[in-house]
Amino acid sequence: MSTFSPFELWIMAFVTLAIFSFLYRDNPVYRLVESIFAGLSAGYYFGLMWDTVLMQQVVYPIRTDGAWYLLIPTALGVLLFSRLTRSYSYLSRVPLAFVIGSTSGVFITSRLQGLVLPQIRTTFMPQNIPGGSTDPGMIVVLSAIVVIGVIATLIYFYFSHEHKGALGVTAKVGIWFIMISFGAHFGYTVMGRVSLLIGRVQFLVESWIGSFTS
Amino acid sequence: MTVWERIAAMDRRWIYLMCGIAVLVPFIIPVSLPVYTTPEVQQLYDAVNSLPDSSIVMLTYDYYPSTVAETEPMSRAALHHLFSKNCKVVTLSNIPLGGPTIAERVTRELAAEYGKVYGVDYVNLGYKANYVAVMKGLGTAISGIFPTDNTGTPLTQLPLMQSVRNYEDIAFIFVVADNATADYWVSIVNAQYGVPMCCGATAVMAPKLYAFVGSGQLQGLLGGMKGAAEYEQLLGRKDRAVRGMDAQSLIHLLIIVLVAIGNLGYFMGRRAKRGERA
Amino acid sequence: MRRTAPVITAFVTGVVVTISFFFNEQTTFIGQIQSGILIWVTIIFGMSLALGMVSITRVNFNKVKRRQEGWPYSLLVIISVFVMAIPSALPVSWSPLFGRNEGSIYYWLWTRISEPMMATMFAMLAFYIASAAYRAFRARSTESTLLLLTAVVVMLSRIPMGEWFLRLFHPSLPDWINIYIMNGFNLSVQRGIIIGAALGAASMSLRIILGIERTYMGKG
Repeated sequence: MSTFSPFELWIMAFVTLAIFSFLYRDNPVYRLVESIFAGLSAGYYFGLMWDTVLMQQVVYPIRTDGAWYLLIPTALGVLLFSRLTRSYSYLSRVPLAFVIGSTSGVFITSRLQGLVLPQIRTTFMPQNIPGGSTDPGMIVVLSAIVVIGVIATLIYFYFSHEHKGALGVTAKVGIWFIMISFGAHFGYTVMGRVSLLIGRVQFLVESWIGSFTS
Repeated sequence: MTVWERIAAMDRRWIYLMCGIAVLVPFIIPVSLPVYTTPEVQQLYDAVNSLPDSSIVMLTYDYYPSTVAETEPMSRAALHHLFSKNCKVVTLSNIPLGGPTIAERVTRELAAEYGKVYGVDYVNLGYKANYVAVMKGLGTAISGIFPTDNTGTPLTQLPLMQSVRNYEDIAFIFVVADNATADYWVSIVNAQYGVPMCCGATAVMAPKLYAFVGSGQLQGLLGGMKGAAEYEQLLGRKDRAVRGMDAQSLIHLLIIVLVAIGNLGYFMGRRAKRGERA
Repeated sequence: MRRTAPVITAFVTGVVVTISFFFNEQTTFIGQIQSGILIWVTIIFGMSLALGMVSITRVNFNKVKRRQEGWPYSLLVIISVFVMAIPSALPVSWSPLFGRNEGSIYYWLWTRISEPMMATMFAMLAFYIASAAYRAFRARSTESTLLLLTAVVVMLSRIPMGEWFLRLFHPSLPDWINIYIMNGFNLSVQRGIIIGAALGAASMSLRIILGIERTYMGKG
């Protein structure tokens, strides 16, 4: 059932219950584990940076291929730390611009080619019925819902003109569509949050309490 | 204070207690209600199932420990599916906080179950920062972004990675994510490199991803714990997600009842106020 | 110079990466430059991971030094940072307890303490969302009623008990909800939002590359 030792399960159960104790009210045990969590998370980031960046991406290529030029991005990365000072924080702009500029370059093409074009193209094609039904009536209805919904949503979020006349009516239809979609989203969000609770209770009941009997 | 006002002013801790009980009881008295399969999950199962045996598949662990209840069952089910088909698995994570450790923990556990050999049957690349650059960079050369695997072993020493240079050598990508990375896998990797992919996502993300299933950019979707439960059931393994479905049912019903009572209280309170004014 | 150098950097990297999209990434010169830029990005951005550690240590160190309220908790934060960070940076060849591998202090602390804590912190959201649904989820207008009804129907269709209940009315009811609500109304709205947001992101990227958008530099 579990790959953890009984001692480890007790620790895991303790921190779980300590966090849950906040539901009743803020308390010293909660603050204790919260502080440990904050510290461990910061330490985790450091370990990751040390190993995956410095060791794997800089030291290893330098040692094996003599890629000394990798000291340039490393130095640029170090410049990011100037943000912690007031007078030299401007030095962090160049590495930041390097990251943001190249990411923007990926964005321009990927957003247009990967999202806008395929989403527009499939909007104006007959929709596939999930489950594989070929009922023409269903295909027509679903395709109509999709076309109307996409256009109405885009118009609802188009604020350059006042929502009056045909634009206003379409925007009104858009808000109804949006409310239905957000309702579905809310239902899914509840489901997601509840699943996280189920996961913790599952651990407490099956792994921790279950270890008493096994 | 009227009954409705009293109901409306109920201490939140009573609601917490009811939720706690609703989740706990099904684990003590399981009912094992049937789980129906949705077309999106069936589609995903079929897509993975139709991969030729020994295909090289990339599995991503793009999630934080905060959502493991939803996402880890998906990763586990995916590994069961892939390892049972003798697929070679390359894993990676785009999440700095916890992602690489989860990838290491889950993959090694499942690989041991199937007697898979590290470096031959599976490799964990680990984590590199800035997922946009990582996803794009892997298209040119995996060894450029990941000179070593997660534990620092050079890729040149791993037999599997001799035949995997970039996306051209990857047959399928199984994305498991709890954040925007799913969107980028679709828009960068699927769109530009044409690698077919599917996605296991948290319930919060799932409604958005329906658009990608509809456009054919994703070949199937697992939405939250329910999606994972359906996948487990299709694989014939009633694991963690299936076991959580009873609790899922009960607490949802409780929330629906709470919403109904809240609204009833709201309308009754409004009617009482109108009556007072009249 | 403080502003010109970043603008030039963003322009050059942005243009190279954008143009390389139209060339073979493996065989052309521009493709190889792009590949180099992306590797550099992962190194530069990766260095920022340690920023959090420096920042959190500094803030908590000051709290301890000034004996501010709750300073013992701050001390605990600092101790936790170093207990996690120092062994991870020591070579594995010295001891299997060092580094990040399975069996290391780093791995043990993360999987046994941090993972359950983080999972529990987010699990508490279930209680908050239930409480919020009870207090604030009201059918005040046509729009909010539509939202509320959809939420309830979708919730029912996604849980085994609810699915069974819906099938009592019509055997295909949960399937219709999936087809028309999730793959119809929901899909179309999400698609509209995706198209709008993607156009916005592409235009913002263009503004950054051309140096029109400079807010990422901050003030000064």
